[in-house]
This record gives sequence, structure tokens and C-alpha cells, in this order.
Amino acid sequence: MSVLVASIGFGLISTSILAIAAVGFTLQFGVTNVFNLAYGSVMTGAAYAAYVANQFGVDIWVSMVLGGLFGAALSLLINRGLYTPFARHGLGLAGIIQVTLALGLILENGLQAIFGPSYHSYQMSQGPSFHFGSMVFTAVQVGIMGIALASMIGVHALLAHTKLGKAMRATAADAPLARSCGIRTEFVTDIAWLLSGLLCGIAGVILVMDLQSFTSTTGSNFLVPVLAAAVLGGIGQPYGAMLGALIIGMVSEVAAAVTLPQYKEVIAFVILLVVLLFRPRGILAEVASLKEVVA
Amino acid sequence: MSIAWQFYISSILVYLGVDVMACWGLNLQFGVTGIMNFAYIVFQAAGAYTAAILTLGPSSRSLFQHYIGGANLPFPIPIIAAGAVGALLSLVVGTFTLRRLRVDYQAMVMLIVSLIAINVATNQVDLVNGSAGLSLVPKPLSQVLNLDLVNYQWFYVALTAVVCVIVFLFVHQVTRSPLGRTLRAIRDNEHSAAALGKNVTRFRLLAFVLGGAIAGVSGAILVEFIGTWAPGSWTYAETFVLFTAIIVGGTGNNLGVAVGALLVPVVFLEATRFLPPIGYPGLIDALQWVAVGLLALLFLWRWPRGVIPERRRRFRKPAPG
Amino acid sequence: MPGVDTGHILVVEALRRSFGGVHAVDGISFEVQRGRITGLIGPNGAGKSTVLGMLAGAVQPDSGSIRVEGKELAGRPAYERARHGVGRTFQMAGEFPRLTVLENLLVGMPNQRGERLLSALLGNWTRQEEAAVEKARSLLRRFDMTAKEDDYAGELSGGQKRLLEIMRALMSDPHLLLLDEPMVGVAPTLVGAIEEYLRELCDHGLTILIVEHELGVVERLCDTVMVMARGALISQGTMRDIQSSREVADAYLIG
Repeated sequence: MSVLVASIGFGLISTSILAIAAVGFTLQFGVTNVFNLAYGSVMTGAAYAAYVANQFGVDIWVSMVLGGLFGAALSLLINRGLYTPFARHGLGLAGIIQVTLALGLILENGLQAIFGPSYHSYQMSQGPSFHFGSMVFTAVQVGIMGIALASMIGVHALLAHTKLGKAMRATAADAPLARSCGIRTEFVTDIAWLLSGLLCGIAGVILVMDLQSFTSTTGSNFLVPVLAAAVLGGIGQPYGAMLGALIIGMVSEVAAAVTLPQYKEVIAFVILLVVLLFRPRGILAEVASLKEVVA
Repeated sequence: MSIAWQFYISSILVYLGVDVMACWGLNLQFGVTGIMNFAYIVFQAAGAYTAAILTLGPSSRSLFQHYIGGANLPFPIPIIAAGAVGALLSLVVGTFTLRRLRVDYQAMVMLIVSLIAINVATNQVDLVNGSAGLSLVPKPLSQVLNLDLVNYQWFYVALTAVVCVIVFLFVHQVTRSPLGRTLRAIRDNEHSAAALGKNVTRFRLLAFVLGGAIAGVSGAILVEFIGTWAPGSWTYAETFVLFTAIIVGGTGNNLGVAVGALLVPVVFLEATRFLPPIGYPGLIDALQWVAVGLLALLFLWRWPRGVIPERRRRFRKPAPG
Repeated sequence: MPGVDTGHILVVEALRRSFGGVHAVDGISFEVQRGRITGLIGPNGAGKSTVLGMLAGAVQPDSGSIRVEGKELAGRPAYERARHGVGRTFQMAGEFPRLTVLENLLVGMPNQRGERLLSALLGNWTRQEEAAVEKARSLLRRFDMTAKEDDYAGELSGGQKRLLEIMRALMSDPHLLLLDEPMVGVAPTLVGAIEEYLRELCDHGLTILIVEHELGVVERLCDTVMVMARGALISQGTMRDIQSSREVADAYLIG
């Protein structure tokens, strides 16, 4: 029983990291329709950016913010410098996916060329431990959950209560219509990439803070669970991504504790495949299907 | 030619044949039908494992590797079985993924499939010996032919060439026929194809299964030659090399795809063998992947139809008057 | 034959479809007479394209019945409708851009032997192919497109693409042809030619249902006109009846 409770604790940490990453992925996808397979490598890039800052003696939490900003800047740059030109060049959906995959490979191996194949760690302490029944969290883990919660509340506030958030939702639902209603969709697109990159960067750094060591493939190895969470909830749906993160994060950790630890990811993926069989657009997908018909 | 050079060149020719075959299979799925199969290498691996297990003796007699089955079957049964397993696995995966999913979802599901496959192959050690992989796979007909090592190498080159010709005739007959035309129509616009009475899912599944069979055969030819197969050799990045080869060579054109297989996996990746070692071990590998990625971007931007673009099909005109 | 209404090729009853709580089509019923050209008009967002999509099988209705030649087709996939004699064109980009014009038409040929794997491998499809090419070329001649035979469909002008789609749908000799705004982007000189040809097809027994924005086209072409607004059928009759209808005028003004 205590194993189960402890695994729920692990599940909460996984959920927190996944939620930030998946919401970031899905925000961008909803607005721009680019299925960005380079997302995992951008996470790794941000983790290295924070690592460099950390090496210069910057506190790890400040480094995390810097990593987030790095992710935001890199994402904006990628879209402006690569994806948008390719799309204007007439490359279709399938072609753009290949561009994102190529970029992911370039970033991942570029980082390896710069930092080498070995594992790196941040200079930080995990802080005192907190006990909740048989769940044990380090101070860092509590911080991670706090950041996740704050990010989710922030995203919700942005989407639900600001003009910008409404513009983003309108652009996601129907970009040409939004444009004809006077929404500056290019500006909204930039914001979506910045915001997505910020969340991506933060997720990359806290992933490493939790894992305690990382290498050039860490982010891309984490990409598939992120995609799974985003798709499970219904892609382009920030609340769906939160739900997806909860399901993927919890199922993989709890399943690992009660059954086969080596298959913790596989079990989560199998759940995703089964869900896609019955709801090909994910759990919360009403808006997505409407969009398809309108388009 | 020195023995070492003969060994090297014959090996490269076998690798080339394997890559050309694999690219033809992927081209049938991606170039002709438009399916983004990022798990393609999994079907090659399935074929390789199948051929290896059927060629090896029973696992119980082996002390250092564990696997299911082991049948000591003679050539060419393991290779044919590899094709059948590639097709069968494609049928299962395709039935689940090709039905109603958009192209980006399909791409993601394929990534997940490749991850699950590697996970199972690595963790289920008694299946195909886990991360250590299978090794000491006997070479086909080596007992019967009784050739010396160099001549056996050349024999295998000839064998690979024969299989290549068979695979080429197969994909050529498919792509030049009305079947190939309908597959290209589905690639261009699936809704229009459905409105013209084409059962899009069935056609996609057909292309997927044929491509999977070819992938399986290519894996079998490779594993029977090198004698080993481990999970490290079939990550999704390997699939990306094949995609790049197709883009560079000419999406949808069998000849172009063969040229792409020569240029990218063979010339481009082999050439670095002759570079002097620089930096730490692995640096060249990393830079190689960067270069493959840049090459794909360059061609997608500058020459999206590749070196030898898809051929325009003209029909014989009736005599005037 | 029981269940076959000889006067009506298409009978639609209580067809309903909603998207995310919005009733795009709210229980409409109508019949289409054999050998006539019927127009379906209405303001933007009235649900015309959704109706057409449901008839063609691209969109499945939530409830209701669609009978073509007495056979229930609601819930059946698009390709089965096509095999049952329902052809269609798309509002935009329906061509196969990387296939030539002639190849586009050949794809429209039903029951091709060479589409089966075994025949493709054996190559015993050439004779049937020759007949298909001949049929496609006669269509090209009739639409004055012979010179474009080897052009990629993606390189055609907007009007030529429209023509191509109509020709492609005709390759299977459909009984019922659904046209989704076929005149958008077509040069005015070509509009007349297409109209003339559609009339001719009708005289040979083809039934056409056409969704069209351009009321002039509808007036010249259609025997019967149905008007939709907010997911419902609000009027039906000849163009003259429709034009004098108060309700229709209101629907267009209010939208």
C-alpha cells in the first residue's frame, strides 16, 4: 500500500513536468498547426542554457527562469527563421513535420557536439525532505509542483480573462476568420511561440532538476510522453493537455509501482493508442472537429 | 585489389542494396501514398530478428543469448518469413493507425510505435536477447558453397543484387499500374479519392503492408550478412536517414530513390570513415547527424522534388487523323 | 421495385447535424427530381455545404435518412456513395495536383482491374486502360481541354481545375452529380460553356444538385431552387417563386 502511495507522489512530479511541457506544446499547435517535433530538443537546449548560467554561479531557480527565456527566444527564432519561411515556400503539413524532425536532430546533435556525450548536473541542493504520509518530496520537488500549479493558473488566466487570450483562442478556432475580425494573427502567432517556448524551457530545466543529470538526448526522450499527454487530451486544448498530463503521469508511475517498472512508458502509450482508437482526436476534442469542418 | 579493399567494397555494396530496398519500401508508403511512417525501421528490425531467429538453432543450446524459437531453417526460408512478418506487423499497426488519423497524428503514433517496439525488444530479454541483441547468425549457404571469405562476400553481393532486382520489379509494377496512380491520388487528396469511390483506408493499408514486407526483407538481407542485430541500430533517427534519402533522390521516383540511397546513407555517411579522427569519440557521429538534418532542410527548400523528380506520365497519343 | 420512387432519385428526410452544440443542419427534408438541375442556395453559414457533405458522405449526419435510388446511404462511407452513382466536386482544391490532367480523369474510372495488386503485378490491365484513356480523351475534347492533357493538374487555372473536377466525376457515369460552387473563379466565357454542357448532360438523364452563390447562374441553370437559412429549408420552387418570397429576402438580408 505504501508503495502505491509513494508512486502517487512520483506521479505528481511527473504530472507537473509533463503538464508544463504538454500545455506549451499544445498552445503553439492550437494556434499555428505546426506539429513541432523539435520541441524536445528545445527543452534540452534550455536545460543547457540554464546549465551554463548555473556554472557561472547563478542560482538554480534564476537559471530556470533564464532557461525559460532562452526557450522562448529560440522558439520564436525557429518559427520566424525556419517554419514560416518553409510554409510560405509552399511546403505542406507533411513536409513541415519533416522540417521539425530535421531541426530536432540538428539541435540535439549540435548540443552534443558542443557539450560532449557525457552527463551534466546542476549545482544545487535538493533541500530538506517533506513527508506527507508515505509520500516524500524534496524541497526542489515541492518547488516543481508549485511552478506547475502557478503555470497552469497563469495559462488559464491568460486564456480566459485577457484580450490576448481570447485572440489566441479565436486564431486557434479559425485563423482567416480571426484575421478578418481585426485580430493581428501574426502577432498572436509570435506570442504563441514565445509562450510555448517559455513553458518548454521551464519544463526542460525542471525535468533536469528532477532527474539530477542530463545529456543531449534527455529532452527528445521526453518528447513522446509530452506528445502523448497533449494528444490524449485533444490537441490544441490546453485543459485537455493538463488532463492528459495527469493521466499519463499518474498511470506510468502507478503502473510502474504495481506491475512492471521497465514498462512504465509503454503502459501509458498503450492507453493513448487505445484512446485514439475510440476518440481519434483525443478526449476534449469538440473544438478541433469543428475546426476541421470549417476549414 | 587487396583483400581488405575487396572486403570493404563488397560490404558497402551489400549495405547499398539493403538501403536501396528499404528506401523503395518506404517510398511506396511515403513517396507514393503519403504515409508518414516514422516507425519504418521497426519493420526492418522485425524482419531482421525473424530471419536471425529462424536461421539460428534452438535457444536452449546457446549459453550466452536467449530468444524465442530458433529453427535452423535453410536459405531462403528465413528471408521470405522476414518479409511475411514485416507485412503482418504492418497489417496490425496499420489497422490501428491508418483509419481515421490525420497525418500529424499518424506521424506521432508511429514515433510511439517505434518507442514501444524498442522498449519491448530491450526489456523482454528472453524475446530477442534484450539490449545485447542477437549475434553469430549463420551466413546463408556458407556450408553448402564452401567459399573462402572474400569470395563469399562477392557471392553475397550477387545475392543482394538478385533480391534488389526482384524488389525493384515489384515496386515498379505497382507504381506504373493504375494501383500506383490511385495511391498517388490518395497522397495528393484523400477526400477527392474517396469521392471517386476509392476505399482510401484499404489502399493505404495495402501500400503500408507492401512497404512493411519490403522493409522486413531488407532487414533479413542485412542481418544474414552482418550476423548481429541489436536495439541500438534501429532508433527513429535511422528512419530519418531513409526519409532524407528519399527526399534527396526524388520522392515518388524509384530510380531517384535508389540514387538517394546511394548518396545519403552510403556516400554521405560512409565518407566520414575516411576523415581523420577529431575531438572526442562520437563527435563525428554527432556532426554527421547535424549534416544529415541540414541536407534534408536544404533539399526541402531548394529541390523539394529531389535529384530525379517523379516522372510525368504521358500516354501514347493516337495517330493524327 | 418496392421502395423506389421513380420520380425522385434522391429523398432526404429529417437530416440533422450539429458541431459543438451548433445545429449546422437542423432536420431538413427534401426530394430531388430525376433528370433535373436543382439549386441549393442560401446565405453564408446556412448549412448548404454541410448538406452536400452529408449527401456525399464526407460528413456523417447525426440522424436522418438519405436515399439514393431507394437505397439508404446515411452512415455509409464516401467511397460507397460514389460506387452507388453519386459523384461530386469540391468547393476548393479538389484536384490531384501532382497527377497530370489525363491521370486525374483516369483515377475517376470505376472498377479498374489494374487497381488490384495481382493484376498490377501481372500487368494484365493494359486493354482496360486503353478504353479508359479513350473515354477520358473524349471528355477532354468535349470540354476543349485536349491541349492540357499532359499538364500537371496543380498548374491549371482555377476555372480549368473546376472543369477537371466535373470531367473526373463524369468518368464513372454517375446518376447524381453534386456540385459545390462550381463557378467560383471560372472565367465568364467558360461559365457559359459549362452551363451549356451541364444542361446537355441533364437532357441525357443526369441529375444535378448544385450549391451556388452566383444567383445569375442559378437562375439560368436550375429548374428547381431550394433556399436554406440557419440550418433549415425555408423555401422551395422555381427561381421566380423564390425571388418574390418575403422570407427569402429576409434571410439574405439578415443572414
